[in-house]
Amino acid sequence: MMGLRRNPMALREALWGYAMIAPLVIGFGIFFYLALAASLGISLTRWDILTPPEWVGLNNYIQLFNDKVFWQTLWNTTRYTLLSVPLGLIVSLALALALNTRIRFRNIYRLIFFLPVLTMPVAISVVWKWIYNPDFGILNQFLSIFGAGRIRWVSDVNWAMISLVIMAIWMGTGYGMVIFLAGLQNIPREFYESAQVDGANGLQQLRFVTLPLLTPTIFFNMLTSMISAFQVFDIIYTMTKGGPLNSTRSLVYNIYDDGFHFFRMGTASATAWILFIIILVITLVQLRVQKRWVHYV
Amino acid sequence: MQAELQNPSGAAIHTKLTGTTTPAGRSGKWGYLLLHLILIVVGITALIPFIWMVATSLKGSTEVLSATPTFWPKEWRWANYVEAFEQVPFARFYLNTIIVTLARVVGQIFFSALAAYAFARLRFPGRNILFLAILAVMMVPGQVTLIPNYVLLKSLGWLDSYQGLIIPSLFSAFGTFLLRQYFMTLPQDLIDAAVIDGCNPIQTFWHIALPLARSVLVAFGVLVTLWSWNDFLWPLIITNSTNMQMLSVGIAYFQGQFISNFAVMMAAATLSTLPMVIVFVLAQRYLIEGITMSGLKL
Repeated sequence: MMGLRRNPMALREALWGYAMIAPLVIGFGIFFYLALAASLGISLTRWDILTPPEWVGLNNYIQLFNDKVFWQTLWNTTRYTLLSVPLGLIVSLALALALNTRIRFRNIYRLIFFLPVLTMPVAISVVWKWIYNPDFGILNQFLSIFGAGRIRWVSDVNWAMISLVIMAIWMGTGYGMVIFLAGLQNIPREFYESAQVDGANGLQQLRFVTLPLLTPTIFFNMLTSMISAFQVFDIIYTMTKGGPLNSTRSLVYNIYDDGFHFFRMGTASATAWILFIIILVITLVQLRVQKRWVHYV
Repeated sequence: MQAELQNPSGAAIHTKLTGTTTPAGRSGKWGYLLLHLILIVVGITALIPFIWMVATSLKGSTEVLSATPTFWPKEWRWANYVEAFEQVPFARFYLNTIIVTLARVVGQIFFSALAAYAFARLRFPGRNILFLAILAVMMVPGQVTLIPNYVLLKSLGWLDSYQGLIIPSLFSAFGTFLLRQYFMTLPQDLIDAAVIDGCNPIQTFWHIALPLARSVLVAFGVLVTLWSWNDFLWPLIITNSTNMQMLSVGIAYFQGQFISNFAVMMAAATLSTLPMVIVFVLAQRYLIEGITMSGLKL
């Protein structure tokens, strides 16, 4: 600060700096930092918005941990993540590997695989509802060719979550594929050339060159898709509304339901904080574990 | 491995190897055909929901509900598209979505770039801490601030308004980070030259830095467009009158109301997806660049 006072040039530069960051800092100050603090505060109250909030300490958290539906919600969200993330990664990696060769029509394939990313989840849910329709949906019609029975998909407790996972993989694969393709293109050709000199065949090159050098991209895709899987909401709202029998209720669906149907702002905020902490823990654990398997060139 | 990367002494081997033995080439023609076959099957799976959406949007209302469903419409009923506009205030949803998306895109690009330039190129006390405070925003899921922001807008009287849809969504930590990375790579000479010409920081930013960043800005802008167009939870909670709804919420709402006329619903779904497909076809290179940047530089 002393330097600024003595040097008018530096002072001017600093003032310009503050002026240029001001809109962003004020915006995040209000809509993020203020809101973050308020959210923590609200999570310690019972509040329906209409009447003044009542301080309840950690009661909302205690009640959540004693609530069977909350534990089921937590398990549903985890199960959704554990099913959709690895499968999505494998499919998008396989497609990226296939398109990273000099195969013909690769640009057309890439466009087609990417199209589902562009769709509005709400609009395409209308289509998926009819694909999953037990009586005249095309999925059951297709499966009946192989003699499969009538599956009730989204209205069956055992199939509802799987239906959502299939849909999520359909919607998310293109995005992961594009990131994998970029990662693959960053691998220097020299590595393949020296592997070929050593007599490595295609499979060995994949195992000893491509996959190890792609680990940073795999790590990034895994982390970001886990984080967004834990925040799943849109397709649940439009496909199942958390049903049947709460079998597809996710944490964010609970936040929405508690907050904007039952006006339990305290419970909804407490759930949001639990979600935040889960995501934080996943990120920290992943960052620690990655040292063991991610190779940076 | 490391040594070979840094010392490209294998130039002779390089010329010998390129061309003949690619990983796919060795397994021969059958492997190549098999690969195409798999890609075509996956491609059809990716496309079927779209094709079905468009096909159904052209069917008559009896054909949609018939016991023996058809894939292609027997007769093409374009009137469904007209009805989508007549039965629901679809034009209004469209207009709202365009207004909100344009404002968010322009705002996010402008405020991010402005701050990013200051963080990258100007010196001021507290710069690093403030930048870290912006980065921290990316760590927290948006749902945490959902309720306080709803309460704030309610007390401001901004529920169910364009301000409510737009203003909290004008700021992007990701964009600031991305653009700061870019502005840091600009050569110092370029900025010095502008200063000598008498430019103040905002003039340098506007006349020199911003035009150079054009392709990064477009890439970021396309990503924001895609996100904003499909945004759902925020408009769902803060809008309630039909007049203020965006396409995503409007479609979800009318899904319940107009289930009887499914073909019209499909026409609406097709119309709301189409703009993003067009944006993608026109700006494919930029969108892929944007996703790539988000994937590799974070």
